[in-house]
Amino acid sequence: MSNLIRGFFFHHRGLLIASAVLFCIFQLLTCAIISSIDIPRAFDQILLFAPPAIRTLMEQSMLGGGSAGILAFTWNHPVTHALVIAIAIALGARAVAGEIENGAIELVLAQPLSRFDYLAAHVVFAIVSMAVVAFVGLLGTVAGQNIFHLPPFGWDRLLRLLANVLLLQMSFYSLTLLFSSFGRESGRVAILSVLVAIVSLLVNVVATLWNKAAFMKPYSLHTYYEPRAILVDGNLALSSIVVLGIFIVAATAGAFARFLTRDVP
Amino acid sequence: MSPDKPLELRHLKKDFGTVAALQGVSFSVERGEVFGYLGPNGAGKTTTLRIVLGLVRPSGGDAFIFGKSPSVAAGRNDIGFLPGDLRLYGNMTVLAILDFFACFRRGAPPVLRDSLIDALALDRGTLRRRVKFLSHGTRQKVGLIVAMQHDPALLLLDEPSNGLDPLVQHSFREIVRGFAERGHSVLFSSHMLSEVEQICRRVAILREGKIVALETIDNLRDKVVRKLTVRFRNEVPALADVPGVSRSELQGRETVLWVRGDINALLRKLAQVDIDEIVFPEPELEDIFLSYYQNV
Repeated sequence: MSNLIRGFFFHHRGLLIASAVLFCIFQLLTCAIISSIDIPRAFDQILLFAPPAIRTLMEQSMLGGGSAGILAFTWNHPVTHALVIAIAIALGARAVAGEIENGAIELVLAQPLSRFDYLAAHVVFAIVSMAVVAFVGLLGTVAGQNIFHLPPFGWDRLLRLLANVLLLQMSFYSLTLLFSSFGRESGRVAILSVLVAIVSLLVNVVATLWNKAAFMKPYSLHTYYEPRAILVDGNLALSSIVVLGIFIVAATAGAFARFLTRDVP
Repeated sequence: MSPDKPLELRHLKKDFGTVAALQGVSFSVERGEVFGYLGPNGAGKTTTLRIVLGLVRPSGGDAFIFGKSPSVAAGRNDIGFLPGDLRLYGNMTVLAILDFFACFRRGAPPVLRDSLIDALALDRGTLRRRVKFLSHGTRQKVGLIVAMQHDPALLLLDEPSNGLDPLVQHSFREIVRGFAERGHSVLFSSHMLSEVEQICRRVAILREGKIVALETIDNLRDKVVRKLTVRFRNEVPALADVPGVSRSELQGRETVLWVRGDINALLRKLAQVDIDEIVFPEPELEDIFLSYYQNV
C-alpha cells in the first residue's frame, strides 16, 4: 500500500504544492492587510452604510474579536473555502473515476492488490495531503502574526482549527469519493460535488442571514465549520465533530461498498 | 478446480444490461502451454480476461487461477498481465513505472527486467524518459516488461503485438516460447490467426461471446477452408475433384478455389499447367468462422 501512496503523491505533487503555497501566501497577505488598517474605525465606517443583512453577517463572522475576529474571517473567506474544498473534490474525483478515465486502474488492480487496499490507500493519501495543505495555511497565519506583530493564537486553538478544516475537507472528499465510486469520468463527479458544495455554502449563508430560513442551517455541512468560534472563543463544538464524523464515515463506507462490487473499468 | 491448472474457466457468462457479452465460455490452460484466444473485436476476449483478473464480476460461471477465485488478491501474485488498451501513468519515467509495478510483489523481484529490455530492444536512455513522451510501440514494450519482469507462472496478454515492429514481434515470440519451455503458461489473445498459429499449441475461437472452436492449431489448420485464386495462362484444368478442394468458381481464366486441409494434391495438379498468378492469402477469422458454420 505504501507503494501506491508514494505513487499518488508523485501524481498529485503539482496540485498539492501549488495549493499549499497559495494558501500560505493568502493567509500571510491577510495578516499584512490587517496589520496595516485601523480595524475598529474601518468597520464602523463599513457598518454605517452596510445593509442590515450584510451587517449581521459581518458582525457574526468578523467582529467581536478585534484582529482575531478578522483573522478568523480569513479562514471563512471564499478564497479559503474554494481552496480547501477544491483540493478535497479534486482528490476524491481522481480517486476512482479519474483512475478509470486515465485507464491505469486496469493494470493496477490486475496486480496482487485488493480493492479495499487500493481505495484505503487513496483515503490515507487524501487525509495526509489535506492535513498538510491546511497545516501550511496555518503556518501562513502564524508567520503573518509574527511578522506583522498581530496578537498570536494559541497552538491549542490552531490545532482545533486544523481539525475542523480537516473534518470539512474530509466531508467533501468522502462525498466526492462516493460519487466517484459510481462514475467513470472525474469531470462529471467534480461538477456534481462542486454543486453540492455551493448549495451547502448558500444554505448556510441564507440560513444565517434570514430567520425564516434558519431551519435549513443543520442541513449544511458548512454550518459545522466554525473558525471564528475556535479562534476567538476557543470552542470547537462537539456537535460539529459528531455530525461531520458521522457524515464522513457513512459516505466513505458507501464508497467502499460500491467500489468493492463494481466492474472496473 | 485444480490448483495445478493455471487457468480454468467454467461456463462463464457476462451480461452488460441486455447485451450478453459472454455466453458460457469454458476452457482451461495447462502448465507450459501457450494458449491462443482468438476472436474479432467485440467478441468478448477482453471481458474474459477482465473476469479472470477480478476486474469484472461474471453474471454466471466460475474462473479459477491456480485453483483460486480471481477476487483473491494473492491469487494474482504469479500473474503477468498486458491490457489490450495499455494506459500507464504518463508523468512517471519508464524506470519508475517498472519499479512501481514490481513493488506489488515483494517476494517476486523483477529478475527478467534486464533481459527483457535487451530482447525487446528498449533503449536504455528511454528508461529515464516520461511515459507520456513515448511512441505507442515503445509504450507497448514497457507494458510487456511490466507484465513479464517478475517471471510469472501465468501470462495474460491481450493483443500483445499491437504497435510492435516485425523484428521486435519475432523477439517477443521467442520470449513467449521461453516462458512455455520453463513450464509457464501463456494466454495469448488476438484477432489474427497468423499471429497465434506461430506460437500457440491450442486455440479457442470466440465469436459473439461463444466458443465456436477449441482445437489444436494442427486440427484447426486441417479444418479451415482457405480461399485460393489462380489465374491460368491457357486452358483451365478441372480442379473440382482434386482432394482438398471443396468448391470452385470459374471466372474466365481465373478460378477461385476453397481448399480444406492438405493442399499438396492441388499443388501437384497446378504444377502441370502454366499459371500467371496465384493468390493464397492468410485466412481471415471470418474464413474460419465460415468453416465452422457452413459446409463450404
